[in-house]
Amino acid sequence: MFKTLTFLLSPILAALLLLAPAASAQQGPLRITITEGVIEPLPFALPSFLPETAGSEMITADLARVVADDLAGTGLFRQIPPSAFISQVTSFAAPVAYADWRAINAQALIIGAVSTSGDQLVVKFRLYDVFSGAELGEGLQMVGTVSGFRRMAHKVADEVYSRITGEQRYFDSRVVFVSETGPKDNRLKRIAIMDYDGANVQYLTDAGSIVLAPRFSPSGDRVLYTSYESGFPRIYLLDVATSGRQQLPTEAGEMAFSPRFSRDGRQVIYSLINGGNTDIYRTDLATGQHTRLTSAPSIETAPSFSPDGSQIVFESDRSGVQQIYIMSADGGEPRRISLGEGRYGTPVWSPRGDLIAFTKQNAGRFHIGVMRTDGSEERLLTASFLDEGPTWSPNGRVLMFSRETQGAEGLVSIYSVDVSGRNLRQVVTPSSASDPSWGPLQP
Amino acid sequence: MRTPGSIISGVSHLLLILWLIIGWELSHDPLDFQVTSVTVVSGDEFAQIVAASTPDVTTDTPPALAEPVIDEAAPPITAEADVAPDVAPPAEVTPPADETPPPPLPETSPVAEVAPAPDQPLSLPEAAAAPDLPPSPRPQPRPSDRVAPTPVAPPPPDANISDVVTEAAEPDQPAEAEVVEQPSEAASPEAAATEIVTEAETPSGAPLTSSRPQSRPSRPAAAATPPAEAVAATEPDDATAAAVAAAVAAAASTPAPSGQSGPPMTGAETESFRIAVSQCWNVDVGSLSTGVTITVAFSLGTDGRVVGDVRLTDGSGGDQAAINTAFGAARRAILRCQSFGGRTGYVLPIDKYDQWRDVEMTFDPSGMRLR
Repeated sequence: MFKTLTFLLSPILAALLLLAPAASAQQGPLRITITEGVIEPLPFALPSFLPETAGSEMITADLARVVADDLAGTGLFRQIPPSAFISQVTSFAAPVAYADWRAINAQALIIGAVSTSGDQLVVKFRLYDVFSGAELGEGLQMVGTVSGFRRMAHKVADEVYSRITGEQRYFDSRVVFVSETGPKDNRLKRIAIMDYDGANVQYLTDAGSIVLAPRFSPSGDRVLYTSYESGFPRIYLLDVATSGRQQLPTEAGEMAFSPRFSRDGRQVIYSLINGGNTDIYRTDLATGQHTRLTSAPSIETAPSFSPDGSQIVFESDRSGVQQIYIMSADGGEPRRISLGEGRYGTPVWSPRGDLIAFTKQNAGRFHIGVMRTDGSEERLLTASFLDEGPTWSPNGRVLMFSRETQGAEGLVSIYSVDVSGRNLRQVVTPSSASDPSWGPLQP
Repeated sequence: MRTPGSIISGVSHLLLILWLIIGWELSHDPLDFQVTSVTVVSGDEFAQIVAASTPDVTTDTPPALAEPVIDEAAPPITAEADVAPDVAPPAEVTPPADETPPPPLPETSPVAEVAPAPDQPLSLPEAAAAPDLPPSPRPQPRPSDRVAPTPVAPPPPDANISDVVTEAAEPDQPAEAEVVEQPSEAASPEAAATEIVTEAETPSGAPLTSSRPQSRPSRPAAAATPPAEAVAATEPDDATAAAVAAAVAAAASTPAPSGQSGPPMTGAETESFRIAVSQCWNVDVGSLSTGVTITVAFSLGTDGRVVGDVRLTDGSGGDQAAINTAFGAARRAILRCQSFGGRTGYVLPIDKYDQWRDVEMTFDPSGMRLR
């Protein structure tokens, strides 16, 4: 009897077991994991800003152009040409026809308006996430001057960039660099300052002597640079607003170069040649007190503070070849972090703190690269006849560096590249330019 | 040796022989047959008959051929006109309903301009003339502004960037006055590479090894194989479209009332859904949000479109700002791709609606992080 019952129930139990997964599959949501996406510029629509007062229409197109150039210049955005627009924006407060913008695949829509009163300029904008059909963040209004419209445009672009990418802003920043004119064997060099995009170039020094390696202070109001006007390299501290300057005190026979500010701007680290030996020193700007941080017979130079100020990365040839080392901000035994082939130099710590940018020379070519602070995950971003001297954008997302072309007529220019290695482009300057140092975001 | 079998066989053969001999004599009905009367004719008579049934072509004098009149002022006949192929109109063009023959192709047919002149020697294919360089040990990375899981070859220079590949179409000559056709431009997907190629990784173009003596021509079968890049230009989207079309066909062929749970979602159906969303998931690999993994939830209507909002259910690997950024990118991907490439909703089997009504999707970009 039991055997018969088992014989009859077995198929029923088997069927139930087979149906069990299907029944469980119907319960709960469909779960999917996506691990691969695409990397492409995000298309955005930017209608010309709306003039709200008479006379402001003269500046609306320029404002929109600067905003669009900022965004498209990152390589992360792509402007949709206005000729593709289906609907026109006629009022700042008018409801957005999302369907029209979706139809042209605009993922972000920027609507702005401009009004002027004398020299005062008021710019306001709204950012819309087209496919979500909602405003991304709140509308923003800024007040400035007509002559400073580019800065206001940079501010607008910064907001858009930050809201969409989640990155910190960097468009409204300046770069100090060495402007070069004349033939290669008789270059005239001046310290100059410009907007991050190459606009508004101003010269801070004359061409009377060789100047090198300007470095912005964290607040952007001062610049350190090296000058040979005394016949030997000396470090000068320059006030950007007044062009007033002072020399960093050094003893007779000492040569100082390669300076850089600490993150709080109160200290300077630099290389000092004393008695034929090059070591790294630190000077307190308030007290003038010097501290020697290295004491090796080799050449130690190009120091750079970590963002928290606790460590210093620098280059040294103590192993026989230029390599990158990290030590405590107070000195101590350094540890080598560059382990690849070739020579490494000019290390710069990222403002984010996660990467170190460097110049690498290997197999007859120069590279700009980045690595983790422990030396791992080295990635070379560029390759050319001569690339050197990287500097980070304030948000740690973009690098600028000098690139020189080969030959007696070779020119030196400033280039920028995304930390991913994409979007390599030249920064247009009025003349040859080298040694860029990216300043902080302006207030 | 007498056996029953031999006896039966002998008797049977005997009866058969007797039936053959006597049986026919017993039948009185004659067999049916037809009689056809024939007439015997000679060869001369046959020739006369044939001559009477065919026209006599030898009796009429052929007219003299007219001398060709050469118009000195007329433009010379171009080689293109002679060799212009008979170009078929585009498939979209509907032939006229009446039987009026279509007008001849104009002499300025754009296709004829590219046809080789008959007096020009045919040039060998470029591949045949090129030196037989040894293949590089590994494929060279190709830099592109767009990076996607599936590579896309650079589109033609005059092609528009579109999600759907279309061929350029020229309006045919109007067979009738009311036929009006707008010209359409070629469209092709934007070129895409499968990985970021920095300047440092860009191939210099210099050969890795010296060229070797040219080997024998490759077999025709190998030459017929399309280049890998050309295949890549069509396959990715074709594959996706095929998967989507298959899903559409499957959904259309097995209609079921809403609410009825069908068989479990197949791997192909889930995969096509995953691919559809990933096509729109734009990852900023240089951003801190690259380390963020998020999970979102949303509901779909029976038309495959998102109903309500996309909700963030989980996030890890970064601060709240990075999570919000990653969520924004994921939400844009889900909302944008439901109408990507002309779709009107995600293509999912309607008979399994209960299984995909609610979706929980995890976006994990860790595999795309810069290393």
